[in-house]
This record gives sequence, structure tokens and C-alpha cells, in this order.
Amino acid sequence: MTPPAGPALVEVQGLVKHFPGERGWFGLGRPRAVVRAVDGVSFAITRGQTLGLVGESGCGKSTTGRAILRLIEPDAGRVTIDGEDVLALGARGLRTLRRRMQIVFQDPYGSLNPRMTVRQTLAEPLAIHRIANGSDAERRVAALLEEVGLDPGFGRSYPHELSGGQRQRVGIARALSVEPQFLVLDEPVSALDVSVQAQVLNLLADLQQRRRLTYLFIAHDLAVVKHIADQVAVMYLGRLVERAPASALYAAPRHPYTISLLSAVPVPDPTAQRQRIVLAGDVPSPAHPPPGCPFHPRCPHPKKNARCSTEPPALREVAPGQLAACHFAEEPM
Amino acid sequence: MTEPLLRVRDLQTYFVTEHGSGTARAVDGVSFEVQPGETLGIVGESGCGKTVTSLSILRLIPEPPGHIRPGSFIEFEGRNLLTLEPRELRAIRGNQIAMIFQEPMTSLNPVFTVGDQIAEAAIVHQHLSRRAARTRAIEMLQLVGIPDPEERVDHYPHQMSGGMRQRVMIAMALVCHPKLLIADEPTTALDVTIQAQILELLDRLQAELGMAVMLITHDLGVVAGTADRVVVMYAGQVVEQAPTAPLFARPLHPYTEGLLASVPRLDAAPASARGRLHSIPGQVPAATAWPDGCRFHPRCPYVWDRCRREEPPLLDAGGGEPGTHTVRCWLLTEPGRRTPRP
Repeated sequence: MTPPAGPALVEVQGLVKHFPGERGWFGLGRPRAVVRAVDGVSFAITRGQTLGLVGESGCGKSTTGRAILRLIEPDAGRVTIDGEDVLALGARGLRTLRRRMQIVFQDPYGSLNPRMTVRQTLAEPLAIHRIANGSDAERRVAALLEEVGLDPGFGRSYPHELSGGQRQRVGIARALSVEPQFLVLDEPVSALDVSVQAQVLNLLADLQQRRRLTYLFIAHDLAVVKHIADQVAVMYLGRLVERAPASALYAAPRHPYTISLLSAVPVPDPTAQRQRIVLAGDVPSPAHPPPGCPFHPRCPHPKKNARCSTEPPALREVAPGQLAACHFAEEPM
Repeated sequence: MTEPLLRVRDLQTYFVTEHGSGTARAVDGVSFEVQPGETLGIVGESGCGKTVTSLSILRLIPEPPGHIRPGSFIEFEGRNLLTLEPRELRAIRGNQIAMIFQEPMTSLNPVFTVGDQIAEAAIVHQHLSRRAARTRAIEMLQLVGIPDPEERVDHYPHQMSGGMRQRVMIAMALVCHPKLLIADEPTTALDVTIQAQILELLDRLQAELGMAVMLITHDLGVVAGTADRVVVMYAGQVVEQAPTAPLFARPLHPYTEGLLASVPRLDAAPASARGRLHSIPGQVPAATAWPDGCRFHPRCPYVWDRCRREEPPLLDAGGGEPGTHTVRCWLLTEPGRRTPRP
């Protein structure tokens, strides 16, 4: 894909979300260190395109998605959709805004009300946003189900009667019911079996094309992201370490973390000759990020030196359209 | 050919469903063998019966609601595990056959130190003294790559990360040097960089200890990188069984073919990386009502009359000694019907 053509629909600048450390000893001890879940994240998503936000558990990718929608209030930064300042909105403005931006969660079972039929689940947002009611709502619900590839008869079903793939289709239909421009997809296929995952990914691609949707696709699976994203941002310990057009990132990753992550993904080809970089150790706690470059304790780069443990590298352009936060992004690994 | 370490023949494990309304035929006539020292991958999606198969081998199926049907046969080093007395079975379980599970947090006991949990099997099976067992636990922690093992041996599971807990699970499983390790989705709950560590560890330990591994997973990528042979399961049956290289190069069962084509691939060319993925239409049927004929026929692109009527047996696909590559599909009798996909 080419670097972002056309105007950005969603812009995020310097987004920060810190969670206060809980007190140990049943609330009586000293407060623990602040968890820097999101620590200055910036990106833009072109209208009609997909940004893949990738990282391992605890890197802050889901918190980023939620802070953009203000499901979690960010501490600092700027978020705009179509030029409108999301963080400045009051309660009323926020409600109107939610018609334009929606979210699909990883676990469709946990995010659907078990006591509501599919029809009730899909009709609720229509009523709340005064889009439709009565027979008009019925018609819209049937159309939504059809659009996500479900027989309208599923309207009478309860979530427990559906398979994982069907539930995720309902989750997508619910997000689409208010006709949003922008969807945060938070690990939407991670809980699904391979054959069903492919069906849902195809559905998301079709919907994007038909409705000209803009996606923030949050995932840990780099192969899935390669399939769906135009741009990719890689996150580690609350910060972006690399951001690039998908084609560049997969062909020539520059950050040692991106390189290691890509090399660790198992490929379904027993004849593949690949060099696997096995990173030592675990991801450090975001309550105590290492000084300097947060990746330096695990970094396999041969040029790694004292500078890495003292001076945090800035996210800078290392190739046209490709940004990486590494002092040695130009040197081969 | 050497005598297999484990021979599973016509295993049928059924469950009575909650409302007593039917029987779930979770594992329905499964046969395969594990050779000494090899890695056998068992692949399939949720509900295909891969986990029930592994639990049946160790007789860990809760009865009721489950039961292993008469006529099933599980032979380990020449002894039928299904007819052993509980005492004889205990001497094998955790000693000669060990198992690790997907979720290390729920399979470790939170109120005992990891050292105590690793030592337990050595005390029970090898009659080590407490002190000797503790020393063995420290050695095991070192073997699985946990730093500061003398200190870690006294830690509790909650003090460890997910990757470390999985290493502890592996240490527990290997403390008696089993001949067979059954690993059920050992890396599914882990991040990709931690998964790489654990797979590398299992690979190294297998070479050092010379044990056979039965690796149960839904991830075709993991299987491609680790297994010598692969068994593909669908709807409670083995649908294809082959050495790893030919299985990936030339999958013969339409389910295997479809599954491989549905995986988004990191090694796809940029041009084909975007665009539609191949997907298998429909969904896995319920274990209480497997389809008649071939169980894959409602989702198969090559289906014809015979598939709806008659259940195919495992047919030999050639490529070596008989039984090297077997496929449960009528296409093997009429290869002309394998037309290119539309």
C-alpha cells in the first residue's frame, strides 16, 4: 500500500493514559507505582483505510483503542475525528459522537447481554440514538443481520444459542447499527477458530469497502494484521516503536522488536528457512519501564550500547513514510 | 519399523449431554500411533475431539458424564491402559506419560510453592527423600531455563509470569523423565515471543531426554515447525494422517486443504496478502448430531452423492509404506472429481 493518501479521518496525538498504582495490604499500604499503560502515542488513519495496532499482552494497545473512544478517559493528548476534538466534548456531544465511532470486542460472549435476543441487542442502539423504532427498526435489524451474513431468523436467538463466529457477527452488526464512520476492532478474531476467523476477516473487508469504513484493528497476530491493514503501528510498553505502511513494515522492518516479533510467528510451511530470533526474558512491567529505550534489556541488536539504556530513542523517520524508535534503525540486525 | 510407544485403536469417548437428551460422540473411532522419540502433531479446531483424545489416553475423562466405549484400545509399551487397575495406572501417569495443559495458572496449585509441586511426582514415583526431591526440583527449574532456581523454587505460582508458569508446568511434567509427553495447546495462552521460547525449550528437552511428544494444537504454524507427523481431526475422527512435509505440501483431505488455505500467512507475497482469504463455509457440526455419510460433506466443495450416503474409511494415499499417508475421503477413489476451485 502507498503511504496515506487523502485526508485522515482519525488523528491521535500524544495520547497518554496512566493508571494509579493500587495500594497493597487491602488499601492500607503504600501506593504502588503508576502504570504507564499508554505513554504518548500518535498516529493518523486515512479515511477508508485500516491501521493495524500490534503488540503483546499488556503493551497498551487495547487501552489506546478505548481511550480514543473515551470508554476510558485519557490523561493527555489530542484525538480528532473528521477534525472534531473528541476529548473536548461534554456528555451530550459524546453521545452524538458515539454514532460515528463504535467498537467490536474480542469476546463476543462477554460483550452481548445474555438476557437479550439478537433483535433486542440490535434494536437498542437504534432506539437510544432515535434512529428508528417499531417496524422501521425491525426492517433495519433484518437488513443488518443479512449484511453480516446471518439469516434474519437469528433475531429470535439468545447469545448462548449461537456459535462464536455467529456471536462475533452480531457484535459487528451492533456496532454498525448506528452507521458509524470509524470502528475500533479490538482483537475481533482472536477467539475464533481458523476457518471461522477467515469468514469474519472477509466480512470485515467487505463491510469496509461497502460502507467506506475506517478501522483501527487491534491484534497480537501479525499475520492477520498483514492481511487487513494498510498501515501498521507496533506498540511496546505503552509506546509506539515502529509505524509504517504495511508493505514496508513487513518487507523491511526496522525496529529490533518488530524484527523479533515477525521472526517468532510460526509459519505453516515446514520447508520455510527462517531465522528465528528468540527474545530472552519477559516484557517488563509497565509500572517499572526500563530507563532509556524500553526494549533495551531484551534487545538483540548487535550495536546495542550504553546509550540505549540512558537515552530514550525518538520515533523518527528512517525511510520514506516509515518511523522507528531505535538509535540503530539504519544498521542491519 | 520399530514397535510403537503408544497405539490408539478405535477409541470412542462419548458423553451424555446435560439434559440427557442425547449422546455427544466427542471421539468416534480414532486410531493412531506414536513412535518412540517422535513428535506427533494433532491438529483440529474446537470440538474436533483432540483434547478428549489426550484425556482419554490418561483416563482423565470424568465418568459420568463421559465414558470410553468397550472396543476402544490404548496400548502403551504393550499394555492396554484401559484395563489397568487404578494403582497400575497411577504408576504410569505422571511418571512414564506426562501431560501439560494450556492454562498454566489453573493447572498449578496456588497454595503450594512451585518447588513442592515439582518435587511431588519425584517423591511419589521415584521415592526420593524430601531433600533429594527439592534438589531435583532446582535442577528441573534450571533445565527449563528459569533464572535463580535456588530462589525460585520457594516461589508461588502467582509470583511468576505466564511464560515462567508454563516452564514450571514443563518442569513438573518432566521430573520423572517420561517416555511420552502430551502437550495440549502448550503455547496458546502465551504471547508470540514467549511462545517461541517455550517451543524452543520443548525442542531442546525432547532431544536431550529422547522422549516422544504428542503436541495438540489448533495452530498449523506451530505444527509445521515442530512435528514429524501430523494427525488432522474433524468431527471426532481422524480425517488425514501423514508425515509433516507431504501434508503441508499436498494436503489431500478437503478439510486439511481448506484449513491450510484459511490461515492468514506472514509469508504471503504482498500482492496476495490483501484480498479475500479462502474460508470454509458453514461451521463445525454438533457432536450430538454428526452428519450422515462423510462428516465434512455439508462444507465440502467437491461433494457428490456418495459422500452424503456413505462414510469413507481411512484410505491409503501411497507415498511410502502402507499407512504412511491416509485420508478419509472418497476423492481418493475418484481423483478426477478434484476439480480446481472456482
